[in-house]
Amino acid sequence: MSRKKALKGKGSSNTPNSSPSAEKEKGKKVSSQANGVVHPSRPSLSNSGEFYDIAFKVMLVGDSGVGKTCLLVRFKDGAFLAGSFISTVGIDFRNKVLSIDSMRVKLQIWDTAGQERFRSVTHAYYRDAHALLLLYDVTNKSSFDNIQAWLTEIHEFAQQNVVIMLLGNKADATHERIVKREEGEKLAKEFGVPFMETSAKTGLNVELAFTAVAKELKHRELKEPNEPKFQLQEYVNKEMKGVGCCRS
Amino acid sequence: MAAEDLPSQFDVVILGTGLTESVIAAACSRVGQSVLHLDRRNYYAGNWASFTFNGLLSWIEEYKNQQELQITESEQEWRSLIEDGEEAVPLNSVDSSISNLEVFCYASEEEEQEEETKDLLTCPNAETVSEETNSDSTETQDTVTSDDVTESNVKVQNEENEDSAPKEQLHASDISEHSQSVEEKQPNRSPADPPAELQKKITYQKLLKEGRRFNIDLVSKLMYSRGALVDLLIKSNVSRYAEFKNIGRILTCRNGKVEQVPCSRADVFASKQLTVVEKRMLMKFLTFCLDFEQHPEEYQDYSEKPFSEFLKNKKLTENLQDFVLLSIAMVTQQTLTEEGLKATQHFLRCLGRYGNTPFLFPLYGLGEIPQCFCRMCAVFGGIYCLRHSVQCLVVDKESNKVKAVIDTRGQKIGCSHFVVEDSYIREEQRESIDYRQISRAVLITDRSVLPSESDQQISLVTVPPVESSGPAVRMVELCSSSMTCMPGTCLVHLTCSSSGTAQQDLAPVVSQLFHIPTTPGEDPSEGTGEISKPAVLWVMYFNMRDTSAMDSSCYSLPSNVHVCTGPDAGLGSDYSIKLAESVFHCLLPDEEFCPPAPNPEDIIYDGDAPQAEGRGFDESNDTEANKSQAEEEGTTNETNPENSEAAEMDSVAQETTLDTNPPSEE
Repeated sequence: MSRKKALKGKGSSNTPNSSPSAEKEKGKKVSSQANGVVHPSRPSLSNSGEFYDIAFKVMLVGDSGVGKTCLLVRFKDGAFLAGSFISTVGIDFRNKVLSIDSMRVKLQIWDTAGQERFRSVTHAYYRDAHALLLLYDVTNKSSFDNIQAWLTEIHEFAQQNVVIMLLGNKADATHERIVKREEGEKLAKEFGVPFMETSAKTGLNVELAFTAVAKELKHRELKEPNEPKFQLQEYVNKEMKGVGCCRS
Repeated sequence: MAAEDLPSQFDVVILGTGLTESVIAAACSRVGQSVLHLDRRNYYAGNWASFTFNGLLSWIEEYKNQQELQITESEQEWRSLIEDGEEAVPLNSVDSSISNLEVFCYASEEEEQEEETKDLLTCPNAETVSEETNSDSTETQDTVTSDDVTESNVKVQNEENEDSAPKEQLHASDISEHSQSVEEKQPNRSPADPPAELQKKITYQKLLKEGRRFNIDLVSKLMYSRGALVDLLIKSNVSRYAEFKNIGRILTCRNGKVEQVPCSRADVFASKQLTVVEKRMLMKFLTFCLDFEQHPEEYQDYSEKPFSEFLKNKKLTENLQDFVLLSIAMVTQQTLTEEGLKATQHFLRCLGRYGNTPFLFPLYGLGEIPQCFCRMCAVFGGIYCLRHSVQCLVVDKESNKVKAVIDTRGQKIGCSHFVVEDSYIREEQRESIDYRQISRAVLITDRSVLPSESDQQISLVTVPPVESSGPAVRMVELCSSSMTCMPGTCLVHLTCSSSGTAQQDLAPVVSQLFHIPTTPGEDPSEGTGEISKPAVLWVMYFNMRDTSAMDSSCYSLPSNVHVCTGPDAGLGSDYSIKLAESVFHCLLPDEEFCPPAPNPEDIIYDGDAPQAEGRGFDESNDTEANKSQAEEEGTTNETNPENSEAAEMDSVAQETTLDTNPPSEE
């Protein structure tokens, strides 16, 4: 198992008499504005010590074992968690600041903490989301069949204008593949959500998935009145890499 | 997706997801115990749950159906799993903690169709409702929700800030600064109902259509800003999962008139109802209460006498006696002096930490809090199954301890400890029955009982007993920015210890404070006094069983079964938190209760290690491997406070940064 844990240089919240995690957010709060976004003209400090202009919450959803945690770790740390099965332990949420059109967008990406395993995800998890990445595993038919059920749950509890993106993960596993790319595209079309295939193992389209979501959210939040709408699916189609093409 | 089998052995199996059980789950999981957390319902938090309006209608429906249901049991299935030397203790499959449920709708049904005899309990298909909501403007909702992300930080910071500050006394300047900083944010964050919408009548259809905007709690409590729950949320870092709003004002109802209670120094000085003499008197008394232990001579003659007599003796005017007794100490006429003083002191100590009153309320309702602890439990490896219960306990005859449970799927799951909510225990396992009841009413009204400049305030209203012997009724009025009701409405919770059914106890208060239309949608006739009262759109009465007086001697159960009683009638949650802590120490005497969870950013994943090619995506079902991996993760993924010197240094540095960043920008 290649999973290693280490302390980052930055603080730990284990000091008994203080709660640095809360204190660290101090900087963020000072320049925060009423509607949840942080004012662009006043950069703020994120938990990890990075400055950002605007912040969003992104939630990962999908069956157990489709690679939600792997996708998160690949995006955040550029690493891949090998091993036959990693049930989520200890991953709560992670922050990453992306640079989008000269603006620093912080994504706070939340993992299900394993509560999806027996379909017991708390409602608050969906409700707080600005964007939801809905994953299935291309080597696992039932994870694909369950997408519909997840969407029902999302529509019941999430905000109505939440950004949803469908991801077919483990696209590198060509031999074990059961769900065809076209099937994913068809399903996405049916529900009117953007779609791409990803691989947390090779990194295929992982960065793109999060970047696309960040672009869409940033665009929505700061839209000038007569600016044209950001076309998420078009952007994705243009930037997307096919399976086996290259390792981004 | 739920076809997976559960592991066959856990350290702790917990049944019920109410506040106490959830805190125990988080605490156990946090220190490395393997936890299985179950609930027979399809929602979290049991009797602590909050529901959307449509969700509440389904809950009501379920209650009605359950009343009619004859319980038929098939015990045979699990009989075969009981071995020699084992004994089975069956559990309850039905919850009977709710009773006397009554629902009345006063909102007009006009909009969609003409008047017809309403079956109040039949709600239109939830699916159509959500369809309709989709077409609604979502802009306001979005603004508010995204706003909350920052709001939570605001709150947590306020408290951290306070904590590090040496001054914790009741300084008028402190209080006003604090309340202001919070107040200033209010106008931005509330979806401030446009006046036009206020005038528009809210119909029943509208309530259904906007049903998602409601988060209606079964239990109505507030959080004392220095109470056990707030302390635990901060200590454990669970506070990161929730957001809070402070209670804006405390009201009382005297002689049929609703008025504001001056409780902080700033309030007292600003009060228009008090004379200058009264102001001085009240300030002097409150200052005494803050450290009454220092002046035993003042009250020792009254230690055996009621607090109310002590107040009389202190020569407070009748006005002030009522304020202190009912709204600040929130005790009865019979409460003894020392207890009354303690309650007053607790109230005063909580003042000013977050605002003008001693209380906080979680956005989206109290039902959030148990779920936050469940999330913490899950993050540390706890396994969650809703719609899943335990049929019976398997007790080892020799040791008289529970060694396993048999779940509703007929799987035998081993455990060292079993924690269970009271309502799952059958009568046969009870030694004595000491139930009390809580009377509850939930109202949706069209405006506040005391309109003010800001209509986005949460108010606590203490209503004196109608008869002197009766219980005082506690009312919490929630505004739409608390994310518990739709704009243009207020959600009102009434609570008291029962003397009769909820309707008998609370309907007089409802008609005293609110206008009840005689026909749905009817306007109050002018000149009756009714016109000044908010109109009730919808009301529900029910009784909830209060098991808080029960202790382990009330049950005949093996020693490693720990029963958690349900919510009590009190305003705070201290009772439930203390119970959780004592159960935890019973289970794990040597472990710390809810130490701070590490910052998620402190865990990094390193990809340098060789990747196991080809192995990565095999969906192997080797449960043994899963388990050992989970174990490994559970034990190693947290940073060790003792040997992470660098980390400690860092956080000191953090504090310094905090100090150089003056809070003046707040």
